[in-house]
Amino acid sequence: MIGGLIIMGGLGALVGIGLAVASKVFYVYVDPKIEAVNEALPGANCGGCGYPGCSSNAAAIVAGESSPSSCVAGGPDVAVEIAEIMGVKIEVREPDIAMPGCKYGFQDADVRYIYEGVNDCRAAMLLDGGSKICPIGCLGLGTCVKACPFGALSMGTDNLPVVNPGLCTGCGTCERVCPKHIITLSSNSRRFNHEYTTDECSAPCQRACPAGIDIPAYIKKISEGKYLEAVRIIKESNPFPLVCGRICVQPCELECRRNLVDEPVAINNLKRFAADYAMKSGQRVQAPRAPETGKRFAVIGGGAEGLTAAYFLNRLGHDSTVYEAASEPGGILRSGIPENRLPRDVLDWEIDDILNAGVQIITRQKLGKDYSIESLLKDNFSAVFIATGGWDTQLVEKDRDRSLRPLPGVQLLIDFILDRREGKGERPGENVMIIGGGNAALEAARTTIKEGAKNVYMVFRQSRDDAPISNGEIRRAEEEGIQFCFQSAVTKMTGEGNRLTNVELAGISTEGKLKGEPELKPVDILLTGTGRFPELIYVPRGTSDEDETLQEPIQWETFNPYAGPFAEQDIGIFRPGEVTSDYRAVVEAIGAGRRASSSIQQYLNGMSVEAPENMIRKHTRVLSLDKLEPVSELPRQEMPHLSLEEQLNDPCLEIAVGYSEEQAIKESKRCLQCGLICYRRVDEGEMH
Amino acid sequence: MGDYVLLAIGCIFVNNILLMQYLGNCPFLGVSKKMETAMGMGMSVVFVLVLAGAITWMLNHFLLKPFGFEFLRTISFILVIAALVQFVEMFLKKSIPALYAGLGIFLPLITTNCAVMGVCLINIKEDYSFVQTLVASFSYAAGFGLALILFAGIRERIILARVPKPLQDTSIGLVSAGMLSLAFFAFKGMV
Repeated sequence: MIGGLIIMGGLGALVGIGLAVASKVFYVYVDPKIEAVNEALPGANCGGCGYPGCSSNAAAIVAGESSPSSCVAGGPDVAVEIAEIMGVKIEVREPDIAMPGCKYGFQDADVRYIYEGVNDCRAAMLLDGGSKICPIGCLGLGTCVKACPFGALSMGTDNLPVVNPGLCTGCGTCERVCPKHIITLSSNSRRFNHEYTTDECSAPCQRACPAGIDIPAYIKKISEGKYLEAVRIIKESNPFPLVCGRICVQPCELECRRNLVDEPVAINNLKRFAADYAMKSGQRVQAPRAPETGKRFAVIGGGAEGLTAAYFLNRLGHDSTVYEAASEPGGILRSGIPENRLPRDVLDWEIDDILNAGVQIITRQKLGKDYSIESLLKDNFSAVFIATGGWDTQLVEKDRDRSLRPLPGVQLLIDFILDRREGKGERPGENVMIIGGGNAALEAARTTIKEGAKNVYMVFRQSRDDAPISNGEIRRAEEEGIQFCFQSAVTKMTGEGNRLTNVELAGISTEGKLKGEPELKPVDILLTGTGRFPELIYVPRGTSDEDETLQEPIQWETFNPYAGPFAEQDIGIFRPGEVTSDYRAVVEAIGAGRRASSSIQQYLNGMSVEAPENMIRKHTRVLSLDKLEPVSELPRQEMPHLSLEEQLNDPCLEIAVGYSEEQAIKESKRCLQCGLICYRRVDEGEMH
Repeated sequence: MGDYVLLAIGCIFVNNILLMQYLGNCPFLGVSKKMETAMGMGMSVVFVLVLAGAITWMLNHFLLKPFGFEFLRTISFILVIAALVQFVEMFLKKSIPALYAGLGIFLPLITTNCAVMGVCLINIKEDYSFVQTLVASFSYAAGFGLALILFAGIRERIILARVPKPLQDTSIGLVSAGMLSLAFFAFKGMV
């Protein structure tokens, strides 16, 4: 008994002392911060931060290689806790959520073979990309469900994954394991900056929409009676549902698959119904805004394009301010569209929606007179977006003062010519560049030479043979000293203060791609042969983050928003095929405004400003259908109009009255909810 | 020499610690979901078991046996093995950080592992010499690693198969462990 006690006691003491000594001898210093941060992290080892596990991220955070808010699974609470440990401030990030991108499971899609192999999408993918005919269809074997570290995914009855938004942390594990990249992370900002690509399911109507509205999604909400939800979806790509619902030219309806059976779905009338419902019931649909970034942006021009850009910049978390020369915002919508097509109270309600979202507006302020690009940049705006509109807005603007130079060193050719005719106008300087235009541009070039310009460049996108000036004229002009730059486009301007100094000129190949290195030419004045100013974004140049104060005079440079899907070329300003802010349709201007805000966001994130490489463009080949399985014919709902008598009684009354709720629901059920090649095989019974 | 080879084969296959003696089943089911962790665990067990076998043999022969305290064998072995694992962890962390990075998280799991304890007791029961103890400890541990890796391979494939819902995860794991054990039954009588 005693011996046992001695043995065990002695052994215990020996071991205890040994370990105590060893812990001193073999002591390794571990930063207590790493342990504290590791404690704060959720320990799910999901890899959403980009490190193999929580502990490696903890080490990286303490080493300063990873951000305190890098843990997507923990969300803002964990970020705050880590920031406290590290003693730093954090920027709140917008939550992401997983979004399955396929709408039709196996039972509803066309398949090529029956798959009976290993129960994993990655294995199924090896057999010629899966059994569905659609190359981007969900394989439905639930690899994402098994991979989700938080149990937020489950397999629905239709063989498509279902996300539980309460559990999803936006870690992106599902996105990484999905061999087809169908389930992706989504957030408001990501949706605002979205362009349709060849890697995702999109319906023909969506792709035809210049603003890129998710049309099947909002029509589905209308058919479910969730009208406000429909408006919210529209507002992710278009802040003007009331206006567009009335005056849109509806390129979407031309592409509607129902054209193969009877008539297209009344997409636009449905949009109007949902937006009208929200207005008539007095409910303002405010979509969520990304966390405040503290950046300020100025938008010049309070038309559809400018307001759209400001609206989306605001929703991305920035402060945006619109400068409008007229007394009220709205541009052509207010001045050019008759009251009986677009009542003013409807327009006002829509613009109020944008202003209520947080967009500031300053009216009766004219660029070049009351303020300048320089004064805005000095006022700490991170970028200035020019959305002064098409040539029509220049004409609408009465008693225009031509002596104003809104943009540094940029003048409209027409103003230049009119000035010379009246015998006024200052001398253009030594280096002049003229973009586009025909013989009038040539005349202007000759005038500048007479006035003492040393270098006069004429820039054409076309080749020498295709240019709008005859070959003989070109030769003669060259003898006079005019330099021609064919197959070139202006990609950038740089300057200081209120002066233009250089223009970057890029060569374009016949396929519309960049050719060779862009070259920088000193230019004092740039004349644009088109009747309007290009869409441009002015940003300060040569300031680093540490040096917040801007040098005098302010150095600036420009870039242009990336080209939308309908542009034939994507380099430089005034791209052919892209009507952007032209008079053709308000929806084009809205799309251009949204792309401008995405471009500014890309610039802010330090990325190169360009559309996604696999964006579906006008000539991209996309899988489609040329016939539908028997779909029963259903007549399109007629838009009710005022009778002639009523129209005569009050010419200001809106002529198109709008759908009734019953009509809207009936019409929304005509929608086939198309995917890339899938569509709803309409059940006869459900229609009546 | 031939005896040692036979002893080794016997310990690895015929008397496999996991599949024939059913010791150490918790890590067998716990860390066998991924090949990577199974390998790490296997290596750690080899490392710890050889050390533990040597230490406990010495403890038994130089302390317990001479003084007639063999009834304290179990409790003193637990104490010594636990302390050893702690010590090894500290030593590795300081001296061989690369090895620690690979084995570190498995070492605390082994502290109270019955496979380790069991092998030490078997060594004493069979009255092995010191060299035999080393060979046996290494071989048992190698057998442990072998079974674990085989099982991890099987489980990685099972994940991809369509398993009926009530049988998923641990249940199907136990079923396949049983079958693996039956397969090892064929070694019976070889040595």
